[in-house]
Amino acid sequence: MDTGFPSRDLQPHGQVIQPLGQSCALLPDSMMPNTTNTALLEARGLTFLRQDERVFGPLDFSLAHGEVMLVEGDNGSGKTTLLRVLAGLLRADEGNLYLDGEPLDRDRARGRMLFMAHHLGLKADLSPLENLRIASGLYGCRPRTTPANVLQKVGLQGYEDEPVRQLSAGQKKRAALARMLLIPAQMWLLDEPFANLDREGIALVNGLIEEHAEAGGAALVTSHGAVTFLHGTPRRIRMPA
Amino acid sequence: MKPGSVSAAAAAVLRRDLVLAWRSRGDMAMPVLYALIVATLFPFALGPDSALLARIAGGVVLVTVLLSMLLALDALFRPDLEDGSLEQLMLAPQPLALMLSMKILAHWLTTALPLIVIAPLLASMLHLPGHAIAVLVLALVVATPLLSLLGSVLVALTAGTRRSGMLLALMLLPLCVPVVIFAAGAVSAAQANLPWVAPIAWLGAALALILVLAPLACAAALRIAVDA
Amino acid sequence: MANWIPHWMQRLSSPPTFYRFAGVLRPWCMALSLILLIIGLYGGLVMAPPDYQQGDAFRIIYIHVPSAWMSLFIYGVMAVSGFIAVIWRIKLAESVAMQSAPIGAAFTFITLVTGSLWGYPTWGTWWTWDARLTSELVLLFLYLGVIGLYHAFEDRRQGARAAAFLVLVGVVNLPIVHYSVQWWHTLHQGTTVRLFGKSSIEADMLWPLLVMTLSTKLYWVASLCGRVRTDMLSLESGKHWVRDLAMEDEA
Repeated sequence: MDTGFPSRDLQPHGQVIQPLGQSCALLPDSMMPNTTNTALLEARGLTFLRQDERVFGPLDFSLAHGEVMLVEGDNGSGKTTLLRVLAGLLRADEGNLYLDGEPLDRDRARGRMLFMAHHLGLKADLSPLENLRIASGLYGCRPRTTPANVLQKVGLQGYEDEPVRQLSAGQKKRAALARMLLIPAQMWLLDEPFANLDREGIALVNGLIEEHAEAGGAALVTSHGAVTFLHGTPRRIRMPA
Repeated sequence: MKPGSVSAAAAAVLRRDLVLAWRSRGDMAMPVLYALIVATLFPFALGPDSALLARIAGGVVLVTVLLSMLLALDALFRPDLEDGSLEQLMLAPQPLALMLSMKILAHWLTTALPLIVIAPLLASMLHLPGHAIAVLVLALVVATPLLSLLGSVLVALTAGTRRSGMLLALMLLPLCVPVVIFAAGAVSAAQANLPWVAPIAWLGAALALILVLAPLACAAALRIAVDA
Repeated sequence: MANWIPHWMQRLSSPPTFYRFAGVLRPWCMALSLILLIIGLYGGLVMAPPDYQQGDAFRIIYIHVPSAWMSLFIYGVMAVSGFIAVIWRIKLAESVAMQSAPIGAAFTFITLVTGSLWGYPTWGTWWTWDARLTSELVLLFLYLGVIGLYHAFEDRRQGARAAAFLVLVGVVNLPIVHYSVQWWHTLHQGTTVRLFGKSSIEADMLWPLLVMTLSTKLYWVASLCGRVRTDMLSLESGKHWVRDLAMEDEA
């Protein structure tokens, strides 16, 4: 992979707690490797209605630890809505969700789900570094990561202190990717993560997702169908139009 | 402070909003300018009779401050809603009500505090006597957080709508009638050399109550309004 | 939906059941309301003796007071159904809260107009900044805010929930309206009708007032039934029962 991304840099998490210092040492329980075989995320009969019109569902799927799944569907097929439901931003009308075998509600979802949407959630007037400091303040961060070193990993060195407003679309996306590396969330919900990225960026996203999966996390990635840049042959959910 | 702890998160949100306000200082000056212009218009409309102006000064300044705050209120959640950072805030493993109260605090510091600072200037332009100005400032110190908190709940409710300017005024003004009555009551009591502590104390009691309830209500309202 | 809600309530809150139920209820309520209206107005305008101070001017009480009570009562109903709508997201509760709002706003408006008409001969002015009048005006703004917020959302159910939340926020206003007379002493006369203890109004004058109150309540029920039925049809327009209903009408 020609990504500029040292691929073994991210360690599997959970064993070492570093002393408090420059890097974050907060280790939430959610990052502990799960020894049982329960699925990380499971949906049963998940249905979402908008004004009594079915947006999607009933959907049944489960994601094991270390698994990456692709959500396919045309525009308007409810991919983003599905991700928003899983993140806990929307309430499903029917069906159940389980996280590590336990029923998932909004309060349990918070902090364990990472949601990257079309709106990246970066403040345009702040620099990438400042944006990431806010994220680490809100969510905590993984062992041995700091806002500065994750920015380096996504290839934004030299742009740490530029206001996000002045970055290109691809660079903004990279800043959002850096947040994925920083936040200790087990379940990644990525809405069109390959949009706005060049070939190098696409390889970077793939690298990040693979690292995350190897560390016991899982990811749900949407794609509007034409092409996916996801490595390997991930399992797919097809959203009917 | 450990990253990810509640105190670190609260500090991060507060610092973020203050830094953002500082980077667009021009916007911060707008409510102050607006208040200045409105208060200047009154003498032109009513004539330079200083006895008349002194009698209405307290009420004019209070209403002017209220309207300026209303003007700035829409900016409390809209930018965050548009760039997706509100979603990031709602998904964080932190008590949302506390995070929102930090946002409200930052908003109060950047919009209401400058207004309180220029309030004595406005009041003396309208010939309010000195001891009443002191009471006016005190009343504003208690009343403006109340307005910020009440306003935050309503602005959260309109977060999911396109148009909200006039609607927000329609929703907020009925709720702040008691605040205006008590704050203005304190000032006019001070002007008449009557005891003015009781209305301020009432406002203080209301503030203590709203300080706890409003962030919770704001969080609930935001969840209703963002749920599309 | 919570388990403890009685079975019949759950049944009734299903739109098709309520649609039929409201359809049966509506004409009865409307008819009874009109009958009581005629009796009440006759009793109030013809049979009741003139007031020893205000003469015949006091007779506007038979419109003013029932309207004022309704303006508060409807807001209370909106608060209760709004609470249910926010917590349990029951469609019927959302609809009841939102469809009550224009009726409540109308009663509030009537109260204000009749109050000011009554004020001129008794106080010598159309409008005073009296506590109860002011609070009633604030209540009107509150109603208008709720209606405005409801219509500002594209998704009507979301709008209903947001507006229901506003109703709950504004509920703080309701006791302020009611106890404002005790809080700020002004020239509005004190309460004259008490539920418990002795009323300070003559029985001849009282009974038409109570009849009118019942009439306005029934009018509200009838009007609400009609409005909620329409609302249910438009909210559920894609559902089978609405389609079946439309087919029946055509056949």
